[in-house]
Amino acid sequence: MLLSIALLTFELMGSGVPHQVRAYANDIVSPVLRVLEQPIRAVQAGLERIAGVSDIYLENTTLKDENDRLRQWREAAMQLSRENERLRQMLKVPVREVPPAATTRVIGVGGGAFERSVLIGAGSADGLMRGSPVIDETGVVGRVIQVGRWTSRVLLVTDINSRVPVRLERTGDLAIAEGQNEQLLRLRFLPQGAQVRVGDRLLTSGHGGAFPPDVPVARVTEVVDDFILMEPIGLLGKLDYVRVMAYNPVPDAVFDDADDQGEQQ
Amino acid sequence: MNAVRRPALASFGFAGFIPVLATFFMAILMLLPLGTGAANIAMPHLVLASTFYWLSSRAILLPYGACAILGVFLDLWLDVPMGMNMLLLILTRLFVLNQLKHYKGRSRFVHWAVFTVLALALYLLSWLISSAVHGTMIPPEPIALQWMVTSFSYAPIGFLMGRLRRAAM
Repeated sequence: MLLSIALLTFELMGSGVPHQVRAYANDIVSPVLRVLEQPIRAVQAGLERIAGVSDIYLENTTLKDENDRLRQWREAAMQLSRENERLRQMLKVPVREVPPAATTRVIGVGGGAFERSVLIGAGSADGLMRGSPVIDETGVVGRVIQVGRWTSRVLLVTDINSRVPVRLERTGDLAIAEGQNEQLLRLRFLPQGAQVRVGDRLLTSGHGGAFPPDVPVARVTEVVDDFILMEPIGLLGKLDYVRVMAYNPVPDAVFDDADDQGEQQ
Repeated sequence: MNAVRRPALASFGFAGFIPVLATFFMAILMLLPLGTGAANIAMPHLVLASTFYWLSSRAILLPYGACAILGVFLDLWLDVPMGMNMLLLILTRLFVLNQLKHYKGRSRFVHWAVFTVLALALYLLSWLISSAVHGTMIPPEPIALQWMVTSFSYAPIGFLMGRLRRAAM
């Protein structure tokens, strides 16, 4: 009892267990999780297949239409990409594409109702670093906060400690997308007079160097005066494969300094 | 002089480790990505339910040390403030040892009701601890939801653990 109270007191003072200890604890349990998740994935896939059989004809027709539309878009996108590349070369603008450091699976969750994080099956052995942004096929998922040898913990954008610098795609206004430990994010620090509408998309602004610019983050779902709620674009409710980006312009020392400041506060 | 001797931990043999192993397994189950993001809220506190069950039926097989170690691993794996689950499990043991005489031998429904009340108090405590550590009030809705899910999950977990107990001991 005394030990637990002492540990909690250390946490309150900000000098809790080092990140590395937690990361190694995750490494220990990861082989068991990898084994146990196999039957769960199989059952989930089976259930999805059963649920999908009934409307397979309708889905096929919809996909054919979508495929035709996407082909046209692809041609337009390739043409724009070529033109963009030529202009970049002419103006000597550096390339902004960020290569992936690893593509991996979510092998565990954590935090319960208190924190929003997931455990992924890649670690320092795969070249991951603390602070690396994590995305899925639709948008930002979160960033790496603990790196073990074979596993890493990703703090989701919905966590109460998550802050993502964003800009409104339509107007270019800058703001911060803040997690609330709930399904929706809150938009804060928006400039006075900024016009926000339901349905507006928010992209990473690239400020602070934590995330590369122009990655989709969230879509506005509710605007009541200054209280703006957004739904994350990343499929946080059904994460499977995620991509960790090889983007770490903020040196690790900054995170350590931030931790130190947190301890002092 | 002729007082009935209570069974020692060693007298159970390997079966004596079943409560710890079963609860440890529950801790690992809590980490599985059953729907990932949504599961963060919907996943019941299986370890709490399992601990309460085993303490109510075989308290000797889940000593304070075992509760503390289980709590430490859970804190590390769930990435919650260190010592939080450790404190919750130790408080659970303290509560059961003091209150078992009032509900021992009563129906499963009474056990369930006791667990629900205990879980409410523990979730309230963990909400306060977590809010203090983060320096901001954590929204109570997801915690209330998890408390409800945990309370409802006690019945199936108690049933499974009961089967395991009868099969192994």
